[in-house]
Parts: sequence; structure tokens; C-alpha cells
Amino acid sequence: MEILQGFVDAVKGIFEGSGLSTLNWQNYVMIGVSIVLLYLAIKKQYEPLLLLPIAFGMLLVNLYPSIMAPPTTQLLTEAQCAAQNVAVSGHAKTVIDGVTYIENPTYGGLLYYLYQGVKLGIYPPLIFLGIGCMTDFGPLISNPKSLILGAAAQIGIFVTFTGAIFLGFTEAEAGAIGIIGGADGPTAIYVTTKLAPHLLGSIAIAAYSYMALVPIIQPPIMKALTTKKERAVVMEQLRPVSKLEKIMFPVIVVIIIAIFLPDAAPLVGMLMLGNLFKESGVVERLGKTAQNELMNIITIFLGTTVGATASGQNFLTLDTIKIIILGLIAFCMGTAFGVLFGKIMYKATGGKVNPLIGSAGVSAVPMAARVSQKVGQAENPGNFLLMHAMGPNVAGVIGSAVAAGVLLNVVG
Amino acid sequence: MNLSDVALLAKEELSLAEKGIASAKVVLTGFVVVFAMLILLIFIIKIYGAIVQKAQNAGKKSKEKKAEAVAETPAPVVAAPVAPAQTDGVSDEVVAVISAAVATMYGSSEKARIKSIKKSSDGGRSAWAKAGVLDNTRPF
Repeated sequence: MEILQGFVDAVKGIFEGSGLSTLNWQNYVMIGVSIVLLYLAIKKQYEPLLLLPIAFGMLLVNLYPSIMAPPTTQLLTEAQCAAQNVAVSGHAKTVIDGVTYIENPTYGGLLYYLYQGVKLGIYPPLIFLGIGCMTDFGPLISNPKSLILGAAAQIGIFVTFTGAIFLGFTEAEAGAIGIIGGADGPTAIYVTTKLAPHLLGSIAIAAYSYMALVPIIQPPIMKALTTKKERAVVMEQLRPVSKLEKIMFPVIVVIIIAIFLPDAAPLVGMLMLGNLFKESGVVERLGKTAQNELMNIITIFLGTTVGATASGQNFLTLDTIKIIILGLIAFCMGTAFGVLFGKIMYKATGGKVNPLIGSAGVSAVPMAARVSQKVGQAENPGNFLLMHAMGPNVAGVIGSAVAAGVLLNVVG
Repeated sequence: MNLSDVALLAKEELSLAEKGIASAKVVLTGFVVVFAMLILLIFIIKIYGAIVQKAQNAGKKSKEKKAEAVAETPAPVVAAPVAPAQTDGVSDEVVAVISAAVATMYGSSEKARIKSIKKSSDGGRSAWAKAGVLDNTRPF
């Protein structure tokens, strides 16, 4: 009989500790959401490198919330210590109402520790280091005017900020939401951890979803704002850029931006360091590591832990829905302002600039530039806008980092 | 008090006018600073680009002069054929091919006359280069 009772108790204990009794409905909804995201990542291949770890982190945290739990301190009496096999010596003691308690530290969950790199703003600049190694600023150097398009596409960020304020978000939250319009994952995460860490899950997921949807979101806006004639403009070939110019570029940019806007220095600094690895040609090994192994490791940590911030209780709120809508508005605005400024440049240059390259000003490298190329080629199969669009595209990365610096400075 | 409480407090404190002022402040600052920074970068890139190009061209020219001095002595073996002006430097063979293509399209009964052949301004790519770029960019 005793054995049977013991068995029943044990099964009961396991059941009580299992997800079946500890999870609530929000967790189950999020498990469903994460499975949909996994499907999109694997079957539809929407940004799988990020979406897959994000979705899995989301799955894990909703199955086992303690995986993101911070470390705590347990107060145990000496008797409890003895019962739980906790060493009494070596721990601090607290006396409450004449009873001596031993302060027994417990450890946080696995993803809690990995998440510190996100929380402390370490991973996003490291991702930028890798991006810097992969970025060729040549098209931008040979056509510096494309920086205007990179700036224009950031207007969406600030317009959305206004929208978010009026929807009842605080200034800091609105800043974090607006940055979705920068279409730059690491920047969005960096700004959000500094301004509104409690919204990180929703903002990161909105930002990455919209980046994955660039080929669907942008073309209708681009076509609506341009005429057939404008889309068919063939641009002159870019002048070749010398190696010296390419080497000087990261150094000059970092000096200027870090002096004028120190808040943007971590992001821009790392981006330019990576670029100097590439262009200098003397530290090939470092560049390779930064853009391959290091970036892959950081992507795993970043993706999984950002996904893990989306626990049911945090994520399934009205705020998330507002953020997703505002994010889409920010994105569309960025695209629209980029194209509109492209049109201005088309007029100003007497038809030499194809306005389609303007939409690439929302970072999302290189997807946004590919979209410009594709929409342009649909009009004129012999038109190659890719390299021309890469100028505004990489300018957009610098532009969103600058916009991030402004937001951190003004509302942070 | 944790972070979300602070956020809640701040939410209640903002009136409509304050919201307007706060957003106008950020929009204006953001717009001006982002454009100012990037326009500053445009000028700096242009200036240093010009300086670097000038310096490198100067270096190249002095080298070319030396090379010319050496190369001047041997006379050119074959004189380059002078292309007719109306064909814009297109070789006779290509003109023949284009004429044949036109004749095929219009039929030989129609008397077509080719007045001029011009290279299209597609960024100066040759047909092969174009095919190559098309091939490389097609997956995008």
C-alpha cells in the first residue's frame, strides 16, 4: 500500500511541477504563435536565420518560464538548510524577528544569462561589427548624394513617434516604437533596451517581421508614388572608388558621428570597425571571424533570448497590437519618404536619378536594395539599379544609427 | 516600484498639449539632426574623394608620361580603321548584322534604310557584361 501511495504522490508531484498545471492560457497561445513562426521560418524561409531562433526562444519561455527567471535570494532557516543540504557557512545571514535566516542564492535560468548581452546593449553593436565587415560602402562613396535618401527614409521613425505618443505611449516607449521604421533589427533592439525594455519582445518581433516582409510591403508603395517614366530611368554607371577612399571612409565617418552624436557611437563605431577590417586588407582573419563565427554566435544568443522575452503575459497585450500597427506605419512612411525624396532628386538632376532607389534608404540591407532592383527591372529589363540602390541602403544603416542616437539623447 | 509602474505614472502625466509639444520637439530635432549629419557627411565624402582622386590622378599622369616616352618610338603596326561617324563607333560587321535583323523583321520587300546606329545609354555595358550582370542579379 505504501509503495502505491508513494507512486501516486510522485506522479502528482511531477504533474504539479509540469507545464500542464503551471502554464496559463496566454502561454498556450504563444506556443501556437511560435509554431506558426517556426513554420514561416522553415517552410517559407522568412529571414530564417533570425526567425527560427526567435520562434524557438518564444516556444521555450512559454513552456518553461523559469528559463528566463532572474537569480534570487532564498531566506532559509538553519533547519531548512539542513533539510535541503545547503551549506550554512559562506552565506550571509539575516535576522528577522529574532530568527536567523541564511541567504541562499539561487541561480537564474539559462536564457536569463544569455539575455544580459541584449539587456546591456552588447549584442547589437557586435552584430554591427559583422555587418560592417560585409558592407561595401563603395556605391555610397562614389555617389554621396544617396545619403540624402538614407536620411529621408528615417523620417518615418519620427512621424511614428508622434503617432505612438498620441496612442498613449510614453516618450521613451514611443521612441522605441518609432525606431522600427529604421528597418534595422540591431538598432531597434539597442534603442529599445535603453528606452523601453519591457516592450523589447513586441518591438523586436515587429521589426524583424517587417524586414522579412520588405519584398511584399515596399513595391506597392514604390509603384504608387512613381510614374512609369521615372521607374524606367537608367542611371549612369558609378565611378570606381579607390582603395584609399574606402579605407578612409570608416575612419572619417566614425570621427564625425561620434563627436557630434556620442549616443550613436557604439553602433556606428562597431559598424565602421568591421568595415575597416574589410577594407584595410591587413586583418583578414579578424574580419572573417567577425562576419562569420562571431556574428553567428551572437545571432543565436540574440535571436533566442529576444524570442524569450515574448512570454504570454508580456506579449499578449493591447500594446503589442498597437506596436505592430505603428511599426507597419513607420515602415511604410520610411519607404514613402525615401521614394518621395528620390523623386525630388529625379527632378533636381533632370531625370538622372531613378526614384526607386529611394526606398532602399530604409536600411534592411540588402533586401531593400534588391527590391529597388526588382521593381526597376520590371519596368526595363536592361536596368540594373542594384548597385545604385546599395548607396542609399548602406546610408540607411548610418541614418538609422544617427536617428537612434537622436532618440536616445532626446527622450532617453 | 518597478519599471512598468514608472511608465504608467508617466502615461497619466502627459496632457494632449504636452503630447503635441513632445512629439513636435522630437520630430523637429530628429529631422534636422539626421539630415544635418548626413549632409555634412556628403560634403566631407565629396571633399576627400576629390582630394584622393586628384592625388592619385597626379600620380598616374606622371607615370603615364614616362610610359608614353618609352612607347613612342615603335610605330603602330596596324592603323586603326576609322569607323563611319553615323555608326557611332560600331564595327561594320555589327552594322551588317543589325541591317540583316532589320531586313528580316520588315521583310525584303520594304526598302528600309539605316540612317544611324547609336549605342544606347545603358551605362556603357557591353552585351556580354549585361548578360553577366543579369545572370548575377536574377536571383534577387
